[in-house]
Amino acid sequence: MSNSTFSSKKRFWKTSEEFLLSPNELQNEQQEFSADYDKPPVFESAVSRRTFMALLSATMAVGAAACRRPDHKLVPTVKAVEYRTPGIPNYYTTVYQNRNAAFGLLVKTVEGRPIKLDGNDRHPISMGVSSSRIQATLLSLYDPDRVLRRPRLHGGDSSVTNGIITISDAIKSAIADGKTVRILIDEHCSPSYTALINEIELKIPSLKFVTVPATISDGTASANNSILGIDSEIVPDLSKADVIVSVDADLLGTDKNSVYHIRNFSAKRKPTKKNPVMNMLFTVEAMMSLTGANSDHRIIVQPSEYEQILSAILKEVIASKGSSSVGANVASAVSSATHPSASKIAEMLTKAGDKGIVVAGAHLSTKANAIALCINLVLGSVGTGKVLDIAHTLPNSNRKTPAIENLRSELKSKSVGVLIFADTNTEYFGDRDMKSLVSGVPKRISLSQYEDETCSICSVIMPTTHFLESWGDAVGFEGTYSIQQPIIAPLNESSISIQDALIQISKALNPELFTTAATYFDYIRTRLQSILPNQKEWDNSLQDGIVKNASIPQVGSLNVNQAGAAELVSKASKATMSKTIGHIALSLTVNNGDLANNGWLQELPDPITKVTWGNIAAVSAKTAGEWGVKQGDVIRISTNNGSIEVPTFIQDGMADGVVSITTGYGRTQGGTILKNVGANVYKLLGLGESLGYIEITVEKTGKHEIIATTQGHNSIEGRDIVRDVTLAEFVSDNHEHEHHLISNDLSIVDDYTYKGHRWGMTIDMSACVGCSACTTACQVENNIPSVGKQEVINGREMHWIRLDRYYSKDDKGNVETLFQPMLCQHCENAPCENVCPVAATTHSPEGLNEMTYNRCVGTRYCLNNCPYKVRRFNFLNWHKNDKTPLDLVFNPDVTVRMRGIMEKCTFCVQRINEGKFHAKDHGRARVLDGEIITACQQACPAGAIIFGDMNDKTSKVYLSKNTEDRKFRVLEELNVRPSITYHGKVRNKAEKA
Amino acid sequence: MNVNDTMNETKSSVNGTNSLMPSAHEEVFREQLILGNPTLHEITEKIASIPTLTPNLKFLVTLFVFASMALWGLFCMGYTIATGIGVWGLNNPVGWGWDITNFVFWIGIGHAGTLISAILFLFRQKWRTAINRSAEAMTLFAVLCALIFPLLHTGRPWLAFYWLTPYPNQMQMWVNFRSPLVWDVFAVSTYGTVSLLFWYIGLVPDLATMRNYVKSKFASKIYTAFSLGWTGSVRHWHTYEVAYMILAGISTPLVLSVHTVVSMDFATSVLPGWHTTIFPPYFVAGAIFSGFAMVMTLLVIAREVVDLKSFITLKHLDNMNKIILATGMMVGYAYAMEFFMAWYSGNPYESSVFINRATGDYAWAYWTMVSCNVISPQIYWFKKMRRSIPVMFVMSIFVNIGMWFERFTIISTSLHHDYLPASWGYYSPTWVEISIFTGTIGIFFTLFLIFAKFVPMIAIAEIKSVLPGSQPKHHDNH
Repeated sequence: MSNSTFSSKKRFWKTSEEFLLSPNELQNEQQEFSADYDKPPVFESAVSRRTFMALLSATMAVGAAACRRPDHKLVPTVKAVEYRTPGIPNYYTTVYQNRNAAFGLLVKTVEGRPIKLDGNDRHPISMGVSSSRIQATLLSLYDPDRVLRRPRLHGGDSSVTNGIITISDAIKSAIADGKTVRILIDEHCSPSYTALINEIELKIPSLKFVTVPATISDGTASANNSILGIDSEIVPDLSKADVIVSVDADLLGTDKNSVYHIRNFSAKRKPTKKNPVMNMLFTVEAMMSLTGANSDHRIIVQPSEYEQILSAILKEVIASKGSSSVGANVASAVSSATHPSASKIAEMLTKAGDKGIVVAGAHLSTKANAIALCINLVLGSVGTGKVLDIAHTLPNSNRKTPAIENLRSELKSKSVGVLIFADTNTEYFGDRDMKSLVSGVPKRISLSQYEDETCSICSVIMPTTHFLESWGDAVGFEGTYSIQQPIIAPLNESSISIQDALIQISKALNPELFTTAATYFDYIRTRLQSILPNQKEWDNSLQDGIVKNASIPQVGSLNVNQAGAAELVSKASKATMSKTIGHIALSLTVNNGDLANNGWLQELPDPITKVTWGNIAAVSAKTAGEWGVKQGDVIRISTNNGSIEVPTFIQDGMADGVVSITTGYGRTQGGTILKNVGANVYKLLGLGESLGYIEITVEKTGKHEIIATTQGHNSIEGRDIVRDVTLAEFVSDNHEHEHHLISNDLSIVDDYTYKGHRWGMTIDMSACVGCSACTTACQVENNIPSVGKQEVINGREMHWIRLDRYYSKDDKGNVETLFQPMLCQHCENAPCENVCPVAATTHSPEGLNEMTYNRCVGTRYCLNNCPYKVRRFNFLNWHKNDKTPLDLVFNPDVTVRMRGIMEKCTFCVQRINEGKFHAKDHGRARVLDGEIITACQQACPAGAIIFGDMNDKTSKVYLSKNTEDRKFRVLEELNVRPSITYHGKVRNKAEKA
Repeated sequence: MNVNDTMNETKSSVNGTNSLMPSAHEEVFREQLILGNPTLHEITEKIASIPTLTPNLKFLVTLFVFASMALWGLFCMGYTIATGIGVWGLNNPVGWGWDITNFVFWIGIGHAGTLISAILFLFRQKWRTAINRSAEAMTLFAVLCALIFPLLHTGRPWLAFYWLTPYPNQMQMWVNFRSPLVWDVFAVSTYGTVSLLFWYIGLVPDLATMRNYVKSKFASKIYTAFSLGWTGSVRHWHTYEVAYMILAGISTPLVLSVHTVVSMDFATSVLPGWHTTIFPPYFVAGAIFSGFAMVMTLLVIAREVVDLKSFITLKHLDNMNKIILATGMMVGYAYAMEFFMAWYSGNPYESSVFINRATGDYAWAYWTMVSCNVISPQIYWFKKMRRSIPVMFVMSIFVNIGMWFERFTIISTSLHHDYLPASWGYYSPTWVEISIFTGTIGIFFTLFLIFAKFVPMIAIAEIKSVLPGSQPKHHDNH
């Protein structure tokens, strides 16, 4: 039917008036709007309505701008933004500062909230990997104890503006009284912060900054200063070393750059038959550290022997290499030193030449560090491009103790009128003397993230922001400059970053200051103007997470002060210590106490002791026997500074008479989680005193405490579940590692053929150092709850990956440690699957052992029938007490499980699906190798975990699984056919060591 | 004399002589099953009067104690459902503890009832008639107590109670037929249903007796409803006996199947200490062992409290003690064989589990089990012991304790130390679990007391048939 039928010329009308209208008038009549509808209506005035409104709003804007600074607000998205698709994560870079160690981060955000922190793979220190602590700092962002606090000010509203006015008024009146102002800050590696501090100190002479870190270790910087003229720590590059001797230096554990060290160390811990090359690690220590647990030779010495063994090594190294690099005086100073273990170490070091390195703990004496440096100098491993690259100095790692002593004398003379604590919690880590001096200061002000112990002595309290909420910058030890960009607007509306607060306070004190910078962001942007002149470069720097053309400070050539070296080396050792020695170490989980309110870290088992929620006094079995104490018996440890009560923990591999205790516990204020957890070991120390070894007295209390440990059994009971060989055995033996791979034809039915993907994993136990980064990464990715101390004692911790730690004894009776990451093995013949009555756990066509949470009724039969015991049951509703905003931390791609159901490792099925969707979107039938990485694999600094498609003959996991000589599968004899293949541990033993 | 008595007497007079004197052909070499030569009417009076008596103080106090235990147990069950399994002491390696121990324990208790009702009936063991009613009731209550645990032990019982049964649904989800827990659901529900039917069918003639016996109109109405119009006609008797025989036939394989299936919960797993082919016969023997011990406990009390000494004689008890001795040695053999296999198999995990059982953290439980189940029943080699009421009462309690510890040992010691030493743990129950177990004891005895109060404790009709001379004779004309 054509339209023309209806487009007839016939005319219709409704009324006679209409019939009489002219054609023109008719057209007007038929239009909906009048012809001039879009012209402004004409008023009496010349100004139109629209113009009037525009002028009015402009006036208001001008008026508003006049009375407050321009806002630079980050606004969380409340309306859809063009480039942001709900459900599709956005990634941003920033930088984390573990005190003065910078670490580049890549932050995953969904709908504006950060949900995962990982290493930035473009940042040379992080290289995409991370640590437990870095992963866990995310939880602190959403910590209700941090977010829901308000400032305490004198009158007025609780706004930031009022806070700044209150603080600057207090400072003004103190300065007017002729008093000084001291601001206590923590260590940092931010060049802009340093510049800001210098600028403020210059313009306001009575205001000074003092760095008061919780822990101080000056030994290395002091030795470097005397001998090399470099007043800071030099960070070694272990990937260049063949023989590493660690003298109580916990490079792989408590070191600030441990992630960097683990990556470099483990790179040379994956021998194959074709290329059986490994580095060799000697550890000389009195307590069991993570580095010691990973060493090939571990020499247990008394703390008083460190200088002696170092001297003996130096003597022997000089004997074969000559003393030209350190001078004859050094050689003669050590000429009489002997130690039974020294010659083997020296021999291996000499063999390695400039690829040999000795690292002494920074907390050890200047003398010990000087000897270690001399050994390295003799070996030739110090210099540009060498293992100890003199350009790789840790920023601001110079000596802190004199400044603290200076502060003490200032406080004693009562000249300080205002003391500002900028995230320094001296009430927690300070000594008795410092606390009483501090209480003598008339005005005490706190700028801190948490309402901590120090807040209780402050009259003015301002909350500060988390590093994910504020601008900043940081420089790594090797010179990488990164901008710290905020990922989210401050969750606490009454909080301000310390630097912003300083800028505003100093502006109020001296209007000449920061005339061009309204905020710290402006300050940084201006500082970087010469390097990043336009927006495009600035954006690129933010996108990469590193500023490419930032200038790296020039270093001079290696210049050895031989006289200084000789003086230090020949210095008399400290008088021998008493029989009982306390060893104070940083906690591998809650650090120095600043992360004590973090449930993820509190519940993370210490890699060595497997103790959660609290610290313990680790002693050898012999010492405990002498004292008549058993595991869990509480002992009182006292020094001149104070005393604490800690439960005894019997630890293998400890030197007799040494008690090792970690920092970070015993907090009393600052949150709900940190209370009543462990004892405050800082009570034993003087502020400014180095961590490490102190003389203590020990007495029994008669009390007993149950220690919340996740692994009660240390021995492997001779079971064939791990492979542990020496490099020599590995190279010579041809069959030992294959005999266990059983054939798959035990079944009477045909095997299932995996046509598409077939997911699998390999884990290298030789590379794994046991750092537990995977455990926390998994916890963050998969919304795994923390259950608390009592439930850990009850055996209900929820971690999907546990790091099984086993001890064995070598032929000489030395304790050797072995780590085996244990997670769901995704067995092909999964014993859990056939026992589930409701088919809640089933096998996917891609080889995954899947849990259908909705279907699970919680019989726990699968858990009982799992030979690896990797299934985790929700015994209670762990999420019952999640307070807002803690719920924002959850990964929206992963279900939060209710009580009464089973859960376990999924091989990060949400990431697998995301990868498959991505491949499909790009028109590919299969995902590419490396496109999907699990959270544990992503975090692992050792590169020990490889995940991928075992059906893809070119994938890394296929090659690793099928060509690796050290392969074995755990409990293979059960014919459950796990999808995870392990690679056995190889120890590089020096012959006849 | 009521109708039923007449009918029964008619039945005996049809079948045999009217004489109540022992016949020369039978019974002369055997001990009498009913002492004192009561008349049929006296038997009816004696047994049917028990439910009509006003409960005395002793009865009420006992009922109050057990009902309180039951109520407290029910409260703890509610607390568990409302809060989560976390209120129990279970943990990561030990996913089952007292819950499944109690389940297997109660299911085992029930076995004696079915054995006495069905197998002994088919084998024409006449002495069973005095004890079969209470044994069947006991079975029923034990199964009821047992059924609490598989449901309660799940994390989400509000879903488990129907998701474990196969039914067509919109999710198109079926149960996993490979799972022994599903077999359990079938086995135990079949067992419970058949036991109920068996008990009830056997009860019908006696309910009719009660209908006629009681004076209260209200009670009479209830007994009328439950006696299903029983008149005692020959036709009724014929149908009744056929039905009883068929049910006995159906029940007989159940005696073996239920505990076999229950044992498969363990035997089909991969866990050392569970993965054992000896489990099915071992569990059945153990179940009969514990069931007879529980029947013994109940009967010794009942014959003292309500004076049934003339019906439940020392001969009955002697026979039961012989079965206890026999089954006790069977479980003893099984214990020994487990150790032998652990050594003979050369499996290091298996041997370590059994060494751990005898010497590890739970050695006390293991040795409690061995002393109660293997060592102490050996006194039953002596007839004097088999016929001593105090000895058999203490022994029956011992066996019950021993059999409870057997299940506890199997479950907990195998779970707490399995393959990977790093995952090992220890389990001990909380007050909630203990309360729930004592609660089921309370439920069991409360129900048994209610049963004793309202239902004839001895099958009146059946026991009359074992009176001397009541049996058919070869010279009779049929």
